[in-house]
Amino acid sequence: MKNILEIESLCKYYGKSSNQTKALDGVTFQVMPGEFLGIMGSSGSGKSTLLNCIATVIKPTSGKIVMQGKEIHSLKGSQLTDYRGKMIGYLFQNFELLDNLTGRENILLPLSLHNVSAEESDRRMKQLASYLEITDVLGKFPSQMSGGQKQRIAAARALILNPGIILADEPTGALDSKNARALMEKLSGLNEEQNATILMVTHDTNAASYCKRILFIQDGVIFHELRRNMPEESQQMFYERILSVMAQLGGGSANVL
Amino acid sequence: MFFKLISRNSKRSRKENGLFFATLLVSIVAFYVILSLSHQDVMIFLAQMESDAVNRLLKMIPMFYGATLFILFFLVYFASRFQLERRRHEFGVYLMMGMSRFRLFFMLLAEDLRSSIAALLTGLPVAILVSELTSLITARLVGLGIIGHRISISVSALVWTAAGFLLIKLLAFLILSGKIVRQEIGSMLTDTPEGTKKPLPVAVYVIALLLGAGFLAGAYWMAINGMAWNELGKMGLTIILGLAGTILLFYGLRVVMGFLAGRSSRKNKLQVFTFRQLEENIIRRTTTVAVSSLLILAALCCFGAGVAIAQFYGESEQHVLDYTFTDEANPSAIKDTVKEQKVDELFSDLFEMKIGYIRINDDYFQMDSVEEELEKQPDSEDKEVLLNNLSYGTDPHLISLSGYNHLLEIAGLPRIELKDKEAAVYMDAEFTNDARSKLMNQILAKNPQVELVGEKYHLTGTVQSMGVVVDRSITLSFALILQDEEFEYFTKGDYSIYLNGVLDSGQTEGKSLLTAISDTNKKLNQTGLVYESYLQNIGRQLFYVVAASYITIYLAVVFLIIANTVIGVQFLTVQQKTSRRYKTLIRLGASYQILCRCAAKQIRWYFGIPTVVAAVSSIFGVRALFTGLLSSRTSDNISTMMIISAAMILLLCVVECIYIAAVKASSNRYLLTLMVPEREE
Repeated sequence: MKNILEIESLCKYYGKSSNQTKALDGVTFQVMPGEFLGIMGSSGSGKSTLLNCIATVIKPTSGKIVMQGKEIHSLKGSQLTDYRGKMIGYLFQNFELLDNLTGRENILLPLSLHNVSAEESDRRMKQLASYLEITDVLGKFPSQMSGGQKQRIAAARALILNPGIILADEPTGALDSKNARALMEKLSGLNEEQNATILMVTHDTNAASYCKRILFIQDGVIFHELRRNMPEESQQMFYERILSVMAQLGGGSANVL
Repeated sequence: MFFKLISRNSKRSRKENGLFFATLLVSIVAFYVILSLSHQDVMIFLAQMESDAVNRLLKMIPMFYGATLFILFFLVYFASRFQLERRRHEFGVYLMMGMSRFRLFFMLLAEDLRSSIAALLTGLPVAILVSELTSLITARLVGLGIIGHRISISVSALVWTAAGFLLIKLLAFLILSGKIVRQEIGSMLTDTPEGTKKPLPVAVYVIALLLGAGFLAGAYWMAINGMAWNELGKMGLTIILGLAGTILLFYGLRVVMGFLAGRSSRKNKLQVFTFRQLEENIIRRTTTVAVSSLLILAALCCFGAGVAIAQFYGESEQHVLDYTFTDEANPSAIKDTVKEQKVDELFSDLFEMKIGYIRINDDYFQMDSVEEELEKQPDSEDKEVLLNNLSYGTDPHLISLSGYNHLLEIAGLPRIELKDKEAAVYMDAEFTNDARSKLMNQILAKNPQVELVGEKYHLTGTVQSMGVVVDRSITLSFALILQDEEFEYFTKGDYSIYLNGVLDSGQTEGKSLLTAISDTNKKLNQTGLVYESYLQNIGRQLFYVVAASYITIYLAVVFLIIANTVIGVQFLTVQQKTSRRYKTLIRLGASYQILCRCAAKQIRWYFGIPTVVAAVSSIFGVRALFTGLLSSRTSDNISTMMIISAAMILLLCVVECIYIAAVKASSNRYLLTLMVPEREE
């Protein structure tokens, strides 16, 4: 199967040579269609930089990002905005819903930006809304919704254009444990039932345990990879494996430092 | 280092917020223009003629200054608040780094002072230029290009301008910085996006919209039919209805915005977002938007009324006579007295105008036939006015034909030929207009028979209305022009003689007419003759024109600028407060061009709504003002009204376009800064 996303020797340096911070220092990995990939690491490890590079929010210093066979570095103007809207769906930690738009309007916002026909997306919206259990709140404004509802509206918005990959930046960061679990179950369901490809950056071991594969990143480089052995490994077992890696991560080097 | 920071910050503020700086400049110009009124050419000239009235007007200047100070304070306060709000984060950082609050306050004060001085240094020369230009233009417009211009810089006006400007600036600063410096560092460092208010049921907005429109209609009805002008209580009610109506109308507009947002079309990118933004802005700032709209309305009304008043007083009759001499004690000797004093050399023409009353019987004059004819004419306001005027015509003035014909000759008009037992009708321009004269002429064409002290007379010719003497305050509502012998007979030789004079061309050569008259006045003052000159009349007229139009147009410009600045600043503040939304849109794939178009559309609507409401209101507002301030004399002048409206709309369009362009540029600059991603952890 062809990779949906390929990252090759990606580097992002901040500052001049004498005083350089290497946020990303040669990261290479691939994402297969239908994969649910987690990226874990401590603050400042470079995971957000990685996500921002893929989302074309920042420009890498060197290296390649190839999305569905296209190198995104070469995208310009309308290609770039199309890429942001259609090829990737972005799920923010703080939802980033427009608080003066209703739930429905928020979800349909990408359509008006990318000239997509209403009928087709209407069907998709209804389908997403019922799957994400947000049909009741479509007419409400974000201020009238719970955190979980907001994040599910945001998820619907990220999915409405059927993007090749969903980039989720700490999607459970602003949710309580109950809502976090509900959201993760929905995301994992989307991944399994609809074969959605998800790339999620997270701190949260619990959320990470829903992934099929996890990359651990530290100081700008990938230093470990975990793969869930499906179907024999339960989520609980995978969770414990992640914890032990996290402990090593903390215990192995951080305690000494 | 500290002072370097101050200088950098104040320079950056000026650069980043041109609109704010322009506001400061406008305030300075406004102050200077009103304060230097006494130095305007026209005022200097008028002070010689109509010193009382001019002094009264000049005494009112401090009041206008105070009012301008008051209004502009709010403008400066509002614009400064925006300026400081956007730097909150920066202040938070200073405090976090250990800057004391006092030092921060001092830094802001120094920055403010610096920008004030920069504004003064730029603004004062501009103000002087504007004031001189106004002086020149008004001189040309009203003074027939006859006043020698002198550049006159009013030092006291400069001092008061600077003082007033610094005062409001300091006051606004003290209040604002006090507020901001006392805030907690935490709240300074974090952006606090405003939450959305829970919307009320749609019915509430519909009711508000309808009520608002109803209130406004009521207010205009009261103002236009004159009810509001009868007593203070009704005027108060009209104003309250108008204010409440405008606010309710804007509140109710949410329905319209919501509808437009719902009617989203795929062609217009971000249509929903655009209208939701507008909906929110207009709801949250209903009062500000309504007040801005009212200010624009006030500006339009002031402008309309000013131009109309100027037009009304400025309607000049043909200028024929330069002087009129009188001698109360011995009327018939006036010509000889003038000759004795050797002033007759100054004039190319001196002739007597004889005006008197019927003095031979009690039963003077009746013209039932004319009134009957008039009754037959189709109903009109002019007909009513004429009938009313004629009903007082039982004791008409009489004018001798020779004098009047002389006047017509000088004016280059055909003489009146009267046979025996014929009379011509005279009505001063003050009491007639084109429509009324036409009505009368139709009747006069039939040579109606009237009775003059028992004798049958026929009225003939057309209505005459040339000013019989220089003094425009002497007006005759209805008079008969009679042959000289008949005039002598009916007046029994008891009448007033006015000696009219036309200045010799040698006197006016090489000088402007007004200078020539001024010079002649000086000579005449030495002789002790009683006279009235054209200059005094033109002076009186000029005064009304200048005073009314100057003050009203000045206020109009100030109002217009304030309203627009408030709207502009308001928009930019909201845009910055909702920056997260724009950032989200960028993340979702909105390009810079799409965002700019979306913002431009918002700006056009945001400016457009209050302006259109004001423009529609002004149609009624100006009419209401005409009803209240001007008599029916101008009400028939529809073409003038049209010209005034067109000028108003043109002015409004120009001002709006300038502001929209400025705000768009500012908004585009801001959006560009959002396109650069920030590192968020």
